[in-house]
Amino acid sequence: MNSLIDAKPAHDASAVIDTRGLEKRFGRVRALDGLDLSVSAGEVHGFLGPNGAGKSTTIRVLLGLARASGGSATVFGRNPWDDAVELHKRIAYVPGDVNLWPNLSGGEAIDLISRLRGGADDKSAYAKRKARLIEVFQFDPSKRGRAYSKGNRQKVALIAAFASPAELFILDEPTSGLDPLMEAVFNREIRRASADGATVLLSSHILSEVEQLCDRVSIIRAGRTVDSGTLAELRHLTRTEISFAQDTLTDADLARIPGSHDLSLAGGRIRFTVDSHQVAAVLPALAELDVQGLTVAPPSLEDLFLRHYGDKLDDAVAGEAEARTPRRRAARAAAQQR
Amino acid sequence: MSRLGVLLRHRVRRDRLQLIIWILGIGLLALFSTSSIQDTFGDSASRATVLRLAVANPSILLLRGTPDGAGLNAFVFFEIFTFLALLAGLMNTFLAVRHTRAEEEFGRAELVGSTPAARTSPTVATVVYGVLVNLVLGLVVALGFTVGTKDAAGSFVVGLATAGAGIAFLGVGLLSAQFMRTSRGANGLAAAVVTAAYVFRGIGDALGTPWSDRLHVTPAWWSWLSPIGWGQRTQAYGANTLLPLLLDGALAAASIAIVFVLQAHRDSGASLLPGRAGRATARRTLSGSLGLAWRLQWPTIVGWCVGGALFGLLAGVLSKAISEAVGVDAALQRTVANLLPGGHGTLAQIFISAIFVMVGVIAAACAIQVVMRMRQEEVTGTAELILATPVSRLRWLLDYFAVGVVAIVLVLASGAVASGFSSVATGESAARIGDSFEAAAAQLPAALVYLAVLALVFGILPAWTIGLGWAFLGIGTFFGVFGGLIGLPEWVRNISPFTHSPVPIGTSTDWSGGVWMLGIAIVAGILASVAVRRRELGTA
Ligand SMILES: Nc1ncnc2c1ncn2[C@@H]1O[C@H](COP(=O)(O)OP(=O)(O)OP(=O)(O)O)[C@@H](O)[C@H]1O
Ligand SMILES: [Mg+2]
Repeated sequence: MNSLIDAKPAHDASAVIDTRGLEKRFGRVRALDGLDLSVSAGEVHGFLGPNGAGKSTTIRVLLGLARASGGSATVFGRNPWDDAVELHKRIAYVPGDVNLWPNLSGGEAIDLISRLRGGADDKSAYAKRKARLIEVFQFDPSKRGRAYSKGNRQKVALIAAFASPAELFILDEPTSGLDPLMEAVFNREIRRASADGATVLLSSHILSEVEQLCDRVSIIRAGRTVDSGTLAELRHLTRTEISFAQDTLTDADLARIPGSHDLSLAGGRIRFTVDSHQVAAVLPALAELDVQGLTVAPPSLEDLFLRHYGDKLDDAVAGEAEARTPRRRAARAAAQQR
Repeated sequence: MSRLGVLLRHRVRRDRLQLIIWILGIGLLALFSTSSIQDTFGDSASRATVLRLAVANPSILLLRGTPDGAGLNAFVFFEIFTFLALLAGLMNTFLAVRHTRAEEEFGRAELVGSTPAARTSPTVATVVYGVLVNLVLGLVVALGFTVGTKDAAGSFVVGLATAGAGIAFLGVGLLSAQFMRTSRGANGLAAAVVTAAYVFRGIGDALGTPWSDRLHVTPAWWSWLSPIGWGQRTQAYGANTLLPLLLDGALAAASIAIVFVLQAHRDSGASLLPGRAGRATARRTLSGSLGLAWRLQWPTIVGWCVGGALFGLLAGVLSKAISEAVGVDAALQRTVANLLPGGHGTLAQIFISAIFVMVGVIAAACAIQVVMRMRQEEVTGTAELILATPVSRLRWLLDYFAVGVVAIVLVLASGAVASGFSSVATGESAARIGDSFEAAAAQLPAALVYLAVLALVFGILPAWTIGLGWAFLGIGTFFGVFGGLIGLPEWVRNISPFTHSPVPIGTSTDWSGGVWMLGIAIVAGILASVAVRRRELGTA
C-alpha cells in the first residue's frame, strides 16, 4: 500500500485483521477517515457504529471489493486487494443487504456459494452440515429468490457462510431481519464456529447480541475508531449509578462522598454517578452514612453506546470531560474536529 | 389532480435526460435521413429506379416498407417511417415497464401504494404521462420532417403516425408488465411484441401486390396485424389519411382496460404468470461463476436464437421466390450493389446475405445482454456474493465472455441452420446450406466487437453499460443496415461494425474487414480485462 501515508508501526503479526489509519473516499465523501481496527486470532470482535459510520465500507475494503484510498489494511497479514482470491479461501462473508438471484432457489444459491468456496468438495460432510443448518434455521430451500422474505434471504447467506469451514467470518449485520428465535440459533452457530477456532468480525446494531457474543468491540464513528477494548474495559470507563433512600441525610453528609457526579434527589431517593473504577472508594463513605436501600447499577451498554453515537448526548457529557481519561477525551476531540 | 400531478412530476424528473435523448434522437434521425435521402435521390428518375428495384426485391420491402409513388416526400416516408415507429415502440415499452413493473419489483411501488394515492394511480399517471410523451414525440418528428420536406400537412401525419404507434406500444408495455414478475421479463416480452410487429408488417409488405406502374405496393393482410403497418397506411405525403390511426387508439384503449381489470384483482408485486418452486439442491453444472452466468443467461439466449432462426427461415423461404421473380438485369444488379451489402452473385445469395446482417444484429444484441447481465449482477449485489468467494474479478469477466461468445455462435448457427435447410426444403440446391453458414460466419466478428467493446465500457464506465450498449447497437444497425438504403455518406456508414462484415458471395470474398474486427475485439477484450481487474466492485 502507500508507504508515505503508512508512517505507522509495522503490522501486528498475530492479528487476523489489522487496519492502520485506513481511509476511503467516495468523491468528496470521506467514508473512512483514519480507521484503526485490530482483531486477533480466535476472538469474536464486535464492530459497532451509528448508521453511515463506515462499517460496511470497512468490510468491503477487508474483502478486496473496494480499494482503500489511504492507510493500510491487512487480513491474515496480506493485502486484501492484491491477494483477494487467496484470502477468500479462508473467509466466509455475510453481506449487510442480501440479494439473491431471482430465478435460483435458496438451496441452489447455498450450494453455489459453498462450491465456489471449496467447502462442498467433501460432499458427505458438506451435505450433513447443510442439512443441519437448514433444519436449525427452519429454512425452505426450494423457493426461488424473489419469493423469500428479508429474513429468509438473510438465512441463505448465513447457511452458506456456516456450511463450509472458514478461518475468518466477516458478518455485516447478519441478524438484521431475523426473528428472536433465529437470532438465538445464530448465536449458537457463532459460538460453535468460535469454538472451532475461527475468528469473527461482527458488525451489529443489536447490543444484546454484542454483549452475548463478543470478546472485544470497536466502536467507530464518522469513519474513525472512537473506542476499542473488551466490554469490561469499556464499561470501566463509564459511570456507575448509585442510589439510596434519603432518610435524614443532609447536604453536608452527602458532600462527604468522594468523586460523586450528577447528584440529584427524586422520589425520596438520592442518585449520583461515580466513575466505575472509583466505586470501591465510595463504598466506605456510604457505610459510614449508614444508607438504606442501596442500589449500585453498572453502566448499561446502551448508555455506553448512546454516548458514542448521539451528538446531543455527546455534547451533554462533554461538560464533565475532566472526569474522563485522556484517551477518551482525545478520541472525542478527534471526532468533534471533523 | 394534485396527487396525479405529484406522480406525473416524479416521472418527468426521473426520465428527463433519458427521454430527451430518445425524443431528440428520433427527431434528429428524421431530419438527418430526410436531407440525406434528398441529397442522394434528388431526381425522380433515380427514385423510380430504386423503387422498381425494391418492388422486385422483397428483402428491401421487408426492411423498409411499401412504396407509395416516386414523389420525394413519399419516398422519404417509405424509407424511414418503419424504423422510426420501431424506435418509438421500444421507447414506449421501456417507459411503461420502468414506471410500473420495475417499481413494483423493487418495492418502490409499495411506498407509493401505502400513501393515500390509490392502488391504480401509478398506472393512471403512467398512462397520462406516456400519452403526453408521445404527443411531444409526434410534434418533434413532425417538426423534423417539416424542416426537411417543407410539407407541413404530410409531416404532421407522420408525426401522428409515430405518436399513434407509440401509444399503441405503450399499451403493450403496460400489459406485459402485468404478465411478468420481473421488469427484465416484462421488457423482454414487450420488446418481442414490438419486434414481431416490425416483422409482421415486413412479411405483409414483402408479400404485397405491386401496382402496374411498379412504384406502389399494396401490402398483404399481415401488415394489418401491426401498429407499424397501420402507421404506414396513413400514406403520408400522399393520401394523408388518419383513419388507420384509430386502430392504434383502439389497441391502446383495450390494453389499458385489461390492465386496470387485472390490477384490480392482483396483489402488489404479484404477476399473472406466477413463479414456480425451484430445486432444493443445485445441479452439478451450477458450481462456478461460468455455470451461474450460463444459468442466468440461457433463457435470453434461447429467445435470441429463436429470433435468429426466424430471420434465417425468412431468408431460406423467400430466396427462391426472389430468384424467380427477378431476371438477371445488369443495371438492376448494379443498383443492388449500392443499396444492400453484397454486390455480386445471384439475387438469392444477396438476399440471404442481406438478411444475415439482421441475424448478426440479433447476435450482437444477445452478446451485449450478456455484458449487461454482469452490470445488473453488480448493481443488485449478487456479484458481491460471488466475488467474496475465491473467484477473481478477471475470472468472473472471462466466464461471462465465454457465455457471450457461445451465445453469438448459437444465434448465428440457428439462423444458418434455419436458412439452409428451409431453402433446401423449398427445392433450392444443397449449396444454400453452405452459403447460409458462410453468411452467418461473416457476422461473427461484428458481434464479437459488440461483446468486447461493451465489456470495456463495463470496465471503465460501469454506470453507462446498459445505456451505451443499446445506443451502440441502435446506431450500428441504423448506419450499417439501413445507411445504404437512405443514402448516408460512406464515412457515416463506416462507423458501424456491420458495414465491415465480410460479404461472402461468389469466390472473391474480402474477409479483411472481419479480420480487422476480430483484432479490435481481442484488443478491447484485453483492455476490458485489465479495467475490470483494476476497478472495485460498485454498489447500487
Ligand atoms: N459507493 C458509495 N458512494 C458514495 N458514498 C458512499 C458509498 N458507499 C458508502 N458511502 C458513504 O460512506 C459512508 C459509510 O457508509 P457505510 O455503508 O460503510 O456505513 P455503515 O456503517 O455500514 O452504516 P449502516 O449501519 O447504516 O449499515 C456513508 O456516509 C455512505 O453514504
Ligand atoms: Mg452497513
